[in-house]
Amino acid sequence: MENDKNSQKIVDYIQNFARKHSLFVLAYGTGCGAIEIPATMTSRYDAERFGIRGAATPRQADVLLITGYLSTKTLKRVIRVYEQMQEPKYVIGFGSCTINGGMYYDSYNTINGLDQYLPVDVYINGCMPRPEAVISGFVKLQELIMAGRANNGEKYRENLEHYRTNQKKIIKNWKMPDYNW
Amino acid sequence: MNDLVKENKLLDTVINSFKIEGKVIRDCRVEVYADKNTVSSILLFAKNQLGYIHLAHMTCVDWIDQGEYEMIYTIYSPVDKITLFVKTRIDRENPVMENIDTIWDQANTYEREMREMFGIEFPGLIGEHDFILEDWDQIPPMRKEFDTHKYAAETFFTRPGREDAKDVRDEINKRSGAKVPEFAKKYSRE
Amino acid sequence: MIREKETTLYLGPQHPGITGNMMVKLKVQGDTVVSASTHVGYLHRAFEKLIERRNWIQAFTLLCRFCVPEPDPMELTYARAVEELDNREVPERAKYIRVIVMELARMQAFMLWYAGQSGSAGLYLTPQWSVGDRNYILDLFEDLTGGRIYHMYIWPGGVRRDLPKGWTDKTLRTMDYIEKRLDEYNKILFDNTIFQKRAQGVGIVPKDKAIEWGVVGPVLRGTGIRSDVRIDEPYEVYDKLDFDIPTQEGGDIWARALVRKEEVRQSIRIIRQAIADMPEGEYYNKVSNPMKWTVPAGQAWARTESVRGEIGFHVTSDGGNKPYRVHVKGAAYTHGVTVLEKILPGQNIADVSFILNSLGVCPPEIER
Repeated sequence: MENDKNSQKIVDYIQNFARKHSLFVLAYGTGCGAIEIPATMTSRYDAERFGIRGAATPRQADVLLITGYLSTKTLKRVIRVYEQMQEPKYVIGFGSCTINGGMYYDSYNTINGLDQYLPVDVYINGCMPRPEAVISGFVKLQELIMAGRANNGEKYRENLEHYRTNQKKIIKNWKMPDYNW
Repeated sequence: MNDLVKENKLLDTVINSFKIEGKVIRDCRVEVYADKNTVSSILLFAKNQLGYIHLAHMTCVDWIDQGEYEMIYTIYSPVDKITLFVKTRIDRENPVMENIDTIWDQANTYEREMREMFGIEFPGLIGEHDFILEDWDQIPPMRKEFDTHKYAAETFFTRPGREDAKDVRDEINKRSGAKVPEFAKKYSRE
Repeated sequence: MIREKETTLYLGPQHPGITGNMMVKLKVQGDTVVSASTHVGYLHRAFEKLIERRNWIQAFTLLCRFCVPEPDPMELTYARAVEELDNREVPERAKYIRVIVMELARMQAFMLWYAGQSGSAGLYLTPQWSVGDRNYILDLFEDLTGGRIYHMYIWPGGVRRDLPKGWTDKTLRTMDYIEKRLDEYNKILFDNTIFQKRAQGVGIVPKDKAIEWGVVGPVLRGTGIRSDVRIDEPYEVYDKLDFDIPTQEGGDIWARALVRKEEVRQSIRIIRQAIADMPEGEYYNKVSNPMKWTVPAGQAWARTESVRGEIGFHVTSDGGNKPYRVHVKGAAYTHGVTVLEKILPGQNIADVSFILNSLGVCPPEIER
């Protein structure tokens, strides 16, 4: 049986359709943006009608929502959590602190741009973004998945050296397991 | 308005017992200035004899021009409802201060934070050294000579086009030709 | 009797049961906790160092973010400390508006506490109701200040803008609606046998040691000691308003929950009185040139009552246009580190998250 282009397109379509309608978000409030997440998930701005719900552990999650700034202590744990998630996995940067450091740009403990340490799919800007903005960020992620352009898990695997050099510049005590999947 | 009877009585009691100076700032605020070796006896006296049982706060101010740290202990009495400040000064190059966590258990947390942020030694303080920062290898960060902007610009990535410290008046004058457009006039609150 | 081995559990930064981004390291034997230690520092932004690089007015953008669930008491305490240094009077109308904003912030933080406490007990209907109703209060804030969470509305000298037209009527209608809903919340949480059996007798804070450990707020009122900054050292117009301070005996989670339940009704009472008594007049004692404003040298200490307890600000000025030193005492500073390590030994693992929510531990306040 040949695997011709048309049947591959149908398989891709069904796979992406299923993936975009069931995004499980990891329950990890890394920064001050975590205060708008309960409002998004509950009755008025109900995110569950899009298929978005919370997951308890990294092995069960698809999306890592970095809500706000990251201190260097949290960055080490976020990297470990990201490497434990199974592919396909997506990262959403939430708030202006992930874009260019936000209002903590001159602090000695917060990082200034998330893109150097982890591959990011969608940025949602604001301080805080409203729940409608959060949902529109997820809709943009759904469009990227449907178009087949959201495969940053592979990008991380292929460019591991580049990301590791950046991470080790900040995290001095590197005692982490090696990435082997 | 009360005539500060209770505050003056408190001030006289503490001053006469310990031969130190102090003053009444306003109603419900009294401060005394102590030598660093008598601070814990003043705090113990105030806690046991005068009823100042609540340690509200403990802080440290870095006076770099005078070469000293100022330690301020804030205690409060729920019965008299007066706040008493006990202020003392210690040397900035080798800061050592008495450990008061035998008097109040919660002072342990304040002292651990000050050991990490200012570099003050408290003999007899137990608790892990890394309270807030992890693997920090520079000078204690709250000292005035530590330049946080320079450290952040060197360690973390800075996006181009983000300059710091533009003067606000200059920028407003540069853009002063702009007026509120017609369609937006009905939304402005003036 | 079999002696079980001691294991170390990391109730770590990524966990659905902790209130924020902190770690509690537990040593357990079987199902019982033997010892606990708190590790914070995951949210440290060095606020106090950053405030030394900003003006007196620019510091307001940073102050809201100290305490994420309830940002308004931080602004008010800083404004009061700076007014004391600068000897600046606040007009009457501004004081009433500040009281209304404080009580609305208290109510919306209560609803967030309500969601967290019942969620950690396994009852998942109450978060859907209470966080959904909290949005009505955030709508009021959005009409008044332009933002849902971080307002930056209270300045030294008054408030930033006057009330919009029709805002007081909308507030009174919202208060009527929420008062009816509070009875519904009682039916599903406080009259629920699961919650009562789990909460009674668990997480006891002893009355004779409470003040020594630095316990403040509803946790202190749950042990039977009547202490509240609004009656001990009244600020703004609290001495002209009429309200009760509920206290309960026992010191366990059930007593603290009853105290909080009654406090929100008192907040509704305060808001209604404040709206009825508010005079007309000025709302801001204008600072002439805010970006170049200098404050005379000195030190000031101001305290307010937030939903978790007493918040204190110690502000030092050396006469310049930037604050020389600002040191904040968060309400849950001692709850999260000292009190938690003392009351956790002897509890079950399943109750650790329950106790954390009941003490009101908020990690951004502990490590700023």
